[in-house]
Amino acid sequence: MIMDYAIETIGLTKIFSDWWGRAKVYAVDDLNLQIRSNEVFGLLGPNGSGKTTTIKMLLGLLHPTKGHALVLGGDATHPKISARVGFLPEESYLYRFLNARETLDFYGRLFGLDAKTREMRIEALLEMVGLKAVASRPIGTYSKGMARRIGLAQALINDPDLLILDEPTTGLDPIGTRQIKDLILKLSERGKTVLLCSHLLGDVEDVCHRIAILYGGKVQAQGQVKELLQQTNKRQIITDAVSDSTVHRIRQILSDAQAECEVTAPMEKLETFFIRTVVEAQQQAKPTSGAVSTTQIGDFLTVGSGRENILDKLVAPSVSDKTPAEPVRTETVQPRETVIPEANKDLLRKLTETSGSPRTERVSSPEGAAAQPVETTVEARQQEVKKRLLDQLTKDDTAKPPAQDGDSGHA
Amino acid sequence: MRRIWAVSTNTIRQALRMKVAAIFIVLLLVLLPVMGLSATGDGTLKGRLQTFVSYGLSLTSLLLSLLTIIASIHAITSDIEQRQIYTVVTKPIRRYQIILGKALGVIVLDIALLVLFGGIVYGVTSLMPRFLNASDEEVQAARNEFYTARASLVPPVLDVQKEVDELYARLVKNDQVDVIYPNMTREEVLKQLTNRKRLEKRAAAVGQTLVWEFRNVKPRDPNQSLFVRFKYDVSVTPPDEQVYGAWQVGDVRQLQPGAQQMQTPILPVTRKDTVRKFWELEAPASVVAKDGFLAVAFFNPPLNETTVLFPLEDGLEVLYKADTFTGNFVRGVLLILCRLVFLACLGAMAASFLSFPVAILFCLVIFVTGTTSGFILDSFGYMSENVSLVYTYTIQGIIQLLPRLDQYNPTTFLVPARLMTWGFLGQVVLVLVLLKTTLLLALALLIFSFRELAKVVV
Ligand SMILES: Nc1ncnc2c1ncn2[C@@H]1O[C@H](COP(=O)(O)OP(=O)(O)OP(=O)(O)O)[C@@H](O)[C@H]1O
Ligand SMILES: [Mg+2]
Repeated sequence: MIMDYAIETIGLTKIFSDWWGRAKVYAVDDLNLQIRSNEVFGLLGPNGSGKTTTIKMLLGLLHPTKGHALVLGGDATHPKISARVGFLPEESYLYRFLNARETLDFYGRLFGLDAKTREMRIEALLEMVGLKAVASRPIGTYSKGMARRIGLAQALINDPDLLILDEPTTGLDPIGTRQIKDLILKLSERGKTVLLCSHLLGDVEDVCHRIAILYGGKVQAQGQVKELLQQTNKRQIITDAVSDSTVHRIRQILSDAQAECEVTAPMEKLETFFIRTVVEAQQQAKPTSGAVSTTQIGDFLTVGSGRENILDKLVAPSVSDKTPAEPVRTETVQPRETVIPEANKDLLRKLTETSGSPRTERVSSPEGAAAQPVETTVEARQQEVKKRLLDQLTKDDTAKPPAQDGDSGHA
Repeated sequence: MRRIWAVSTNTIRQALRMKVAAIFIVLLLVLLPVMGLSATGDGTLKGRLQTFVSYGLSLTSLLLSLLTIIASIHAITSDIEQRQIYTVVTKPIRRYQIILGKALGVIVLDIALLVLFGGIVYGVTSLMPRFLNASDEEVQAARNEFYTARASLVPPVLDVQKEVDELYARLVKNDQVDVIYPNMTREEVLKQLTNRKRLEKRAAAVGQTLVWEFRNVKPRDPNQSLFVRFKYDVSVTPPDEQVYGAWQVGDVRQLQPGAQQMQTPILPVTRKDTVRKFWELEAPASVVAKDGFLAVAFFNPPLNETTVLFPLEDGLEVLYKADTFTGNFVRGVLLILCRLVFLACLGAMAASFLSFPVAILFCLVIFVTGTTSGFILDSFGYMSENVSLVYTYTIQGIIQLLPRLDQYNPTTFLVPARLMTWGFLGQVVLVLVLLKTTLLLALALLIFSFRELAKVVV
């Protein structure tokens, strides 16, 4: 059954030969991958193991020497298929003379999106990748991570069913990394498939259901992350900061059960510390010419309903029913989410709550959304949401709330 | 179509970002008005106008041609080299749409620039008389011989086959062929005889009359003039190198016995002109008959002591105003556009499989041979005798495929104020744009569709 897989490769092989036609490099060697729909699949491997080459063959940028690849049940170069695929290449290869907004508009037009949808999505994506304030600067002047962010936005403009990310987190700051991971999880919740190439094991471990490890173009190990990593012979207990005597008692119990134990005060993770520091700086509105970090995710990506997601609606339920891959999220990722600072976490929840109301309301007033600094307090945010809802009810769709022009956050 | 257009607009921006484009555009913007001021020609207003139009349009055409080649190649190769193509081809757009979009973008840019620079050239030419404070006489001359579009009528080539055959047969019978034409093949002898016979028909011995008849003469305005442009040749050059000619221009059928009374005037002119030089005889356009009939008669008066003949290629033609300068100019600019469309597609074709410098070289070679293809064809023609078979099937075939850009040059029409007909333009569009360009484009699409875009060649 072909349609069961979002990506399937059959004996995929790529041999790079030199100018004389002599075989030189076996970049990918007889690769058989099966990536199910609604799965987050991690393709791991050291440098030069053939990850990028595999992706290029999937997308028709390279012709396989042998074998073939099916993407969403067909040939990825066919417009019907590629309309449902989002691709972030190894480096963000974009037109340096276009600015962020023009770039997204260009790619939106390649997807044949109409002007209204484009405008709506561009604002949402710019907001999401935190480039709103620098959206009118040409991309050639961007830093590496900023270019990466706009590259990611470009891959999402069509609200893809299958997202292919080649080392998405290189060059990104920890907040961006965190955000991409959250995004992948959100997309997965909505029934999308993600193929993630990386050698940053931490990232892969956090989000992937299944992984394959490539070496020399061949799969060396493959399977569910949970199964591959679970240590069946160990248990971990985390407690509050209890007194030394309590620790002593616990040791006693464990030694009775013939088990060893180790007691330490856990260190805060550097990621947590970093994110907190940056968020504090943003709350004090320190100026930056770089990307503004948000933990927001584009509305049209997280909201499952709406007129433009008909295809989604049709596909999503059937897919999630079939999917055997239980999201591992509940076990591995949830604990880490507690590291998100309080304000931000609330914000995320706020966002998902408001997104329950029809999406068009939120995004059809992009100016209003644009003006919202992420680091406003929860109360202010709630006020804002209420106010906007009221605005929406009283005003025309396209009319922008004039009152909000003045208080644009980052300016 | 929307996707093609998205690629096109992006290509235009890309092209405008190129320094070459900026330099060329600035260069033209500066040079055109400067040329307008400095063009002198032969010192007359007409001469200045001719020089300016000739240089102005040639320069515009040359720079835009180069710009087109560079822009269309750059648009494709830079995307491949800088790998933006990865993010473009993986979108729901077909590869042929990308190539079409790129070519279209360059063409749209060309159209815009042609309108701009064509407008400047046109503006300067129309303002020049006022600017130079030219005398009425000069303005009148310019109006007659520059600010106009004159159709040219040449007498039809006469069929002399029968007479030539007879003459040849007679020569053979008398065994004179080898005596008169030694060391010549039969074809060459026949060719010589044909020319001789034809020339005989255009020679007037003393006391003889030559009559040329033209049909379908359609002057725009009967109040305007028409011109008989002629060049004498003589068998014996007179001491002062001048001969007399008694001309009649008009509907000579009216002179035949049994004709009604005169409807249109017949203009008699007698003049004395230097031989082997072009002269123009002006006549009111009202001499043309209602049905478009016009006859030109030349009488070789006994004052001359030599036979007068009119050379075969350019001995005689009738020029008359058939359209406005503006119409001709617009067609001239469209002719340049045809060339640019061809070059844009040529560039796209080259870039679909070559890298930037190689593609540029390839296109320049074709461009240069195309603009000099007449010369090349001739030089090959001379050496063709020995290699004729190989030549005919290979080199000539290739040269036929080349664009005959030298023939599609608007200045050959605008400088002598000759009418460029829509028919001629249509023919160029058909051959150059529809046929050759489509061929190139099809080739480009084919190659590009199967190309392995992510392949790195070091
Ligand atoms: N165009 C090419 N020509 C020749 N060899 C190539 C080409 N592209 C890739 N290779 C080779 O194929 C192998 C796999 O390369 P690939 O880019 O797929 O690795 P990767 O897993 O993406 O590595 P990284 O982690 O560094 O991105 C490498 O040995 C590389 O040198
Ligand atoms: Mg790679």
